[in-house]
Amino acid sequence: MAEQLLVAEGLGKTYGDVVTTVALSDVAFALERGEFASIVGQSGSGKSTLLNLIGLLDTPTTGSVSLDGKETTALGRSGRTRLRNELLGFVFQFHHLLPEFSVLENVVMPGLVGGGSEKALRPRAEEVLALLGLEGLEDKNANQLSGGQKQRVAIARALLNRPALVLADEPTGNLDTANTALVYELFRKVNAELGTAFLIVTHDRAVAQQTDRILEVSDGRLVQDVRNEFGAPSG
Amino acid sequence: MLSLRIAARFLRRSPVQSALIAAGIAVGIGVQVFLGSLIISLQQNLVDETIGSSPQVTVAAAEEGEPVTVTEAVRASLEGDDRVVAVVPVRTFSAIYRGDGASAPLQVVGGELGELDTIYDISGRTLKGAATLAGDDVLVGKEFAATNGLEPGDRAVFVLPDGAESRRTVAAVFDFGTAAANQTFAFVPATFAAEVLGHAPDQVTAVELQVADVFASVAVADDLRGDPALAGTTVSEWQSENEDLLSALQSQSTSSYTIQFFVLVAVALGIASTLAISAVQKTRQIGILKAMGMRDAKAGRIFLWQATLLGVTGAAAGVGVGLALIALFSRFAATFTIDPQWAFVALSFAVGVAVALLSSVIPSRRTSKLDPIEVIQGG
Repeated sequence: MAEQLLVAEGLGKTYGDVVTTVALSDVAFALERGEFASIVGQSGSGKSTLLNLIGLLDTPTTGSVSLDGKETTALGRSGRTRLRNELLGFVFQFHHLLPEFSVLENVVMPGLVGGGSEKALRPRAEEVLALLGLEGLEDKNANQLSGGQKQRVAIARALLNRPALVLADEPTGNLDTANTALVYELFRKVNAELGTAFLIVTHDRAVAQQTDRILEVSDGRLVQDVRNEFGAPSG
Repeated sequence: MLSLRIAARFLRRSPVQSALIAAGIAVGIGVQVFLGSLIISLQQNLVDETIGSSPQVTVAAAEEGEPVTVTEAVRASLEGDDRVVAVVPVRTFSAIYRGDGASAPLQVVGGELGELDTIYDISGRTLKGAATLAGDDVLVGKEFAATNGLEPGDRAVFVLPDGAESRRTVAAVFDFGTAAANQTFAFVPATFAAEVLGHAPDQVTAVELQVADVFASVAVADDLRGDPALAGTTVSEWQSENEDLLSALQSQSTSSYTIQFFVLVAVALGIASTLAISAVQKTRQIGILKAMGMRDAKAGRIFLWQATLLGVTGAAAGVGVGLALIALFSRFAATFTIDPQWAFVALSFAVGVAVALLSSVIPSRRTSKLDPIEVIQGG
């Protein structure tokens, strides 16, 4: 059996003290290294809350999250921050590139945040940019790129620290059909070549169908966890 | 130094906003440097004009009219004090000038010219004639000479305290810069004054002193009062006799500090509001940096660095503005010289940077506390 990368147990999140809203309740699943999975659900179903908990951006009200064998529930803010930098890559619906920096600088940023030097990080950044078909754009300002290019730079940035897991929240929500297809193709390529696990949150079932495993969240509960034999890349 | 690099980029990204706030600091610190130097120079000038050419501490006999005997011990006591820069024994008496149908009262000071110069600088302020104090010489002031039509070389008649008349030759005419002093004072040789007063060679009316720091006169006078060598004398100093001047200087300083304080408050509010706006503008960037693993403290330091960069640039420019204002004012407006007060300039610079840093506390804390989810979910 493949090594477990992520283990979520009894995960729940409740907001409010007096009037409480249960966003997520008793979610349990595990993700193996190199898996290519999606979380699907309607708006407000709790899928983004789940992603935030797994991504250590938020703390659960109940349950626990283990990443790479490390139990994270007891960690403080700085401990979770460090783990995010080391183990996770994020891709959001909006690219969130820093407009003050060039493409290359944006891509090396997670490495700089982790304490690396730009000189040492540059070869890896160029390698990732090449993998995503962004050669030659290194010195451009992030604002000079098209929407699709920006999102690809954001993916490159998510990959810089060689994360074990990339969490993508509606990563193609702002893209046209052609760019959407390209982004998933790239996710697959990275998954295959680097062995990076992907967990993609989407409300679009057609998108989810392209992944190997679909976790469905509804009303804050994990209602389905199925292997998707059609999701495997052709060839 | 990632925080510094990001801070610099944030500032460069909004050049107009950055330039405006640096200009705001520059104006504030410029006013600070100028106003501070102006007030300090003005006060130095005022003090110099008022008491610079007069004794600041006077040792006289405890009983009025009695002489002070300047023994070796007395001289050693006075000259032994490091704070004392001039020791001038003088013999003073009143006399009346008698001219053609006119008479005028005079305060006659007898002493050695070399010693008198250390306080009164008569030689340096001579308008006509040659300043000498020998034989029957007398030195008179500009207004006195003009009123009585006296020129160097003229003979003048003085009625002495005992009613006797003395004929003396005007050796030189001096200008002390104030009509009252020029009208009142006349200088004669020490030996002549001793004759008039019936003093022995070691007896004088008073010993006049100047001190290096004029405001130390109170302390110097207090110490001299406790000196056994000076028993039987009374020591006076300028500050207790010029309370109005001192309170005017004090008021001037207070109003200057008040203005400077509010200028700094205005600068601080300006920086704080700009940084607060900048912190809001950059919320998205900070959020994503935190999501990718930037620690809270490091994120907070971005705005601390922004404030430092703005503070250092603005304060440095402000020092330039202040020095330029001083140069312009000295050249075109002032009737006295404004000297840049370098210690004060350095202090203003430091205060500028400190105020900028202080202003960054709120945006820095806000940034530290920012939760990346707030930004990311906002899309």
